[in-house]
Amino acid sequence: MRKLRALWMQLLSMLFRGGKEQDFTAELEAHIALCIDDGLRAGLTESEARRQAIIRLGGAEQVRQAHRERRVLLWLENLAQDLRYSLRTFRRSPGFTVTAVLTLGLGIGACTAIFSLVNAVLIRSLPYGNPQKLVYFFAPAPHIKAVPAEALFPGYADLIDIRQQNRSFQNITAYEQTMFNLAEQGIVTHVGAAKVDENFFATLQSSPEIGRAIGAEDNQPGRDKVAVISHSLWTSLFAGHVDVLQHSLFREGVSYRIIGVMPPAFEYPFRTDLPYGDSHIKSTQIWIPLALTPKQKAHRTIDDNIVVARSRQGVPLKRAQAEMTAIMAGLAALHNAERGEPERDLGALVEPFLSTSLGPVRPLMNLLLGAVCLVLLIACGNAGNLLLARAAGRARELGVRAALGAGRGRMIRQLLTESLLIGLGGGAVGIALAFLFLQRLPKLDPGNIPRLSEASLDARVLAVALAVSLLTSVFTGVLPALSASSMQLTDFLKTHGTRGHARGHSRLQSSLIVLQTAMVVVLMASAGLLIRSYINIESVDTGFSRSTITMNIALDARYHDPLQSRAFFKNLIPKIGSKPGVSAAGAVSNLPLSNSESLGFFRVEGYPNQKDQMLESRSVTPRYFQAMNIPLLAGRFFTEEDDSDSLRPVIVNERFAKTYFPSRNSIGGHISTDENQNPPHWNTIIGVVADVRHTSLEAEPEPQAYSPNYDFDHASIAVRSELPSQAVVSSIRATLKNIDPTLVLTDIQTMGDLMSQASARRRFQTSLLSTFAGIALILALVGLYGLMAYSVSRRTREVGIRMALGAQRRSILFLVLRGAAALIGIGLVVGLGSTWVATRLLRSFLFGVNEHDPLTVGLVCALLLGCGLMAALFPAYRAASVDPTQALRTE
Amino acid sequence: MSSKADVWQGTLTLMVLRTLETIGPQHGYGLARRIEQTSGDKLALNYGTLYPALLKLEQEGYIRSRWGVSENNRRAKFYELTKAGHRQATKAAAEWEQATEILARFLTPATEA
Repeated sequence: MRKLRALWMQLLSMLFRGGKEQDFTAELEAHIALCIDDGLRAGLTESEARRQAIIRLGGAEQVRQAHRERRVLLWLENLAQDLRYSLRTFRRSPGFTVTAVLTLGLGIGACTAIFSLVNAVLIRSLPYGNPQKLVYFFAPAPHIKAVPAEALFPGYADLIDIRQQNRSFQNITAYEQTMFNLAEQGIVTHVGAAKVDENFFATLQSSPEIGRAIGAEDNQPGRDKVAVISHSLWTSLFAGHVDVLQHSLFREGVSYRIIGVMPPAFEYPFRTDLPYGDSHIKSTQIWIPLALTPKQKAHRTIDDNIVVARSRQGVPLKRAQAEMTAIMAGLAALHNAERGEPERDLGALVEPFLSTSLGPVRPLMNLLLGAVCLVLLIACGNAGNLLLARAAGRARELGVRAALGAGRGRMIRQLLTESLLIGLGGGAVGIALAFLFLQRLPKLDPGNIPRLSEASLDARVLAVALAVSLLTSVFTGVLPALSASSMQLTDFLKTHGTRGHARGHSRLQSSLIVLQTAMVVVLMASAGLLIRSYINIESVDTGFSRSTITMNIALDARYHDPLQSRAFFKNLIPKIGSKPGVSAAGAVSNLPLSNSESLGFFRVEGYPNQKDQMLESRSVTPRYFQAMNIPLLAGRFFTEEDDSDSLRPVIVNERFAKTYFPSRNSIGGHISTDENQNPPHWNTIIGVVADVRHTSLEAEPEPQAYSPNYDFDHASIAVRSELPSQAVVSSIRATLKNIDPTLVLTDIQTMGDLMSQASARRRFQTSLLSTFAGIALILALVGLYGLMAYSVSRRTREVGIRMALGAQRRSILFLVLRGAAALIGIGLVVGLGSTWVATRLLRSFLFGVNEHDPLTVGLVCALLLGCGLMAALFPAYRAASVDPTQALRTE
Repeated sequence: MSSKADVWQGTLTLMVLRTLETIGPQHGYGLARRIEQTSGDKLALNYGTLYPALLKLEQEGYIRSRWGVSENNRRAKFYELTKAGHRQATKAAAEWEQATEILARFLTPATEA
């Protein structure tokens, strides 16, 4: 308590220092006067009495100093002094200050920006209770190789059995994704929705902010017309009014009473939460009851449902997996007979929820973090080098201070204060840069990184930015401070104060440059490889035209009769195709790159068919190929008559023809997609078209088949036109309105847009990494330039002597350039070694380029060497233009 | 001078508190003289060290100071104990007595045992 009071008094007396010093001087004078009085009384002379008084006191100035030190907080006083001094020296050398602050600012800014992303994506907690315990429960069909394990889930009847038998899970929920056509005030909007069972909210451990969640009673057929809505729908549709629970949503004439509103962050499932979810649904805004019918509950086949479970406390993943494998095997043994071919022997795959929804982005985040760490290290190296050069330039000043009695600790503290100020300045610049980056983030967001759009500069990000600034200050400041303060005072004095700094300075600086160069090589080679991958992706032959306009139409329950839907599309598609300016229009069940695929078993006549051989198949209207500009390689396209032809014509892709008709003509060949019929209904191949990249831009096309059809419940329409897409779409909209005013066009985009979405994450990572590599290059060049300029200025005298002894200007130029080239060369060698290791980690990010691609590495080396020599050229030129007589007179 | 003892670390505070308790308000020089006299002129007090010690006590709130006039008509700063200072003087004295008593047990000749 008393200590605290004393501290407070010290602080106060620092702030209000007026008069305290004089006050004490007066007190001392009084003391001396009293002492002299006593001395005179004892018979001393006036001067002797004064002498004795001062001796007894121990020196007036020393006492004053001791008193002052007690009066104020010494360390704080020193700090304030250091700060004042640092700011004064910064003002004297603005060039140095600005360069150092900006350098660190770039490094810290890059770090802060990327950390804010990592924070949003990986660190910030999800709106579910303890997400570590959540798992996805897949039911892979190992005998069907073409179907990924994460695309299938156990069916409803199986789930009922699993719920009863398992001991690993505390909760299991099943839900289906669906779309909601919201008709509000005459405007129809399409929003993502989910049909959920009564365990959904309990499993996720999320509860509504208003109202209640969907419970067991809501899942009774007949009582299921209720809905829980998202926070954002609540604000957009009901303006956040509290009476929301008295409203209903209308979907195809059926009203759903709103019973709850979820909190803001809860929009599960997001598109990124499910590996093979509905690609039209970005996030979920409405939850309605699943309300299974008794017939659905008895289904032993695969449904559209998704299964999420919550593990019991203390049940490790392995045990849950083992138990589920056993249960699924038991169910298979019991029920294989009632299942179709694809659903036989379903296995079990229990995967952590987090690794499924974050799995693919974790390596990307690590990559970006690694890159910014390198940038930060380069920035630190640069700032460190600047400080070293500056310390050397200040050797005289420091020497004088040391000679006047400044302690080494005090000098180190002073130098560290300077680097701390520079670090904090860099931190401020960095936070500003990160803020600008986050402003631009919506433009960069590839849309398939979960919660990326929520990145912000929250308290944690700011704390990390501050910590990084402090760390970099110490990191960059310690070496220069130690080496600058370790001068040999006697040497300094002997050399008349011209050369006093410790040796080894320039070696330290050179090795910093070498390390920086090496790190730049790693970053640039990585960026180069990503750029080449991106170029490869962009130049991939997708098989279709970028300019084709596509849109989606989903028919509602009124069209459940195939005859009706057929009539609808037979009416609509030709009308679109015959519009002026439209050269072709067609419909397809699943567009390429739309993340949905229809796979089926098939066999080929006259081919040693494998069991479980699978085929990507699509239903198309006749002019789909022309609309997509998919080239015909052999045979013919579909015609309007093919739809009802008893020949059952199909068109296959080139890969199919090469695989299954290696030495025969595929035209006229027979294939069949029904497994069980014997003899099968054969389809006849009438044409071969080019391969189309359906699943992704990266994956090689699989064997594909197209059959003619007009019967869709939802379809994508492809239109090829010379007109601007705006005009085409509005004229199609008008046509649709004439046919059926309640239907809407959704997902209007060109195939180019779809391609751009498919490569968005790649573009994101490539542009970020390239930016960082660019920053790193600039930093390293600034560093190199600085070092060369510094060393030239220190070698002025040497250059002068060389010239006086007859050296040519050109040879001086080469001397300096050779020094720079040597540094870069060593840096390149070290960098190439590190690159060899580092790019191996990049392998999963690359496409169509080897991780040790010699062209990329060669270009990087050439670029770095070129830029490096350019950076050294100016100092070299300055050295070469030294006037020898002037140079010899300096120092 | 050399035969005089130095002031032991930490004891100056106690001496100041006890002296002020005994003689009431006093200026720095008077305090120093009084401490020397009380020690029977056996202590060599460096007057300079007295002032930081006084300042510390003042900052801790054990003493307060004001300007006044000395007996021989000189302006001087007078120090006096606060309430907390009185308490502290008693407490510190008791602590010191205990410490010396303990130490004394070690120093008394072993013949008694």
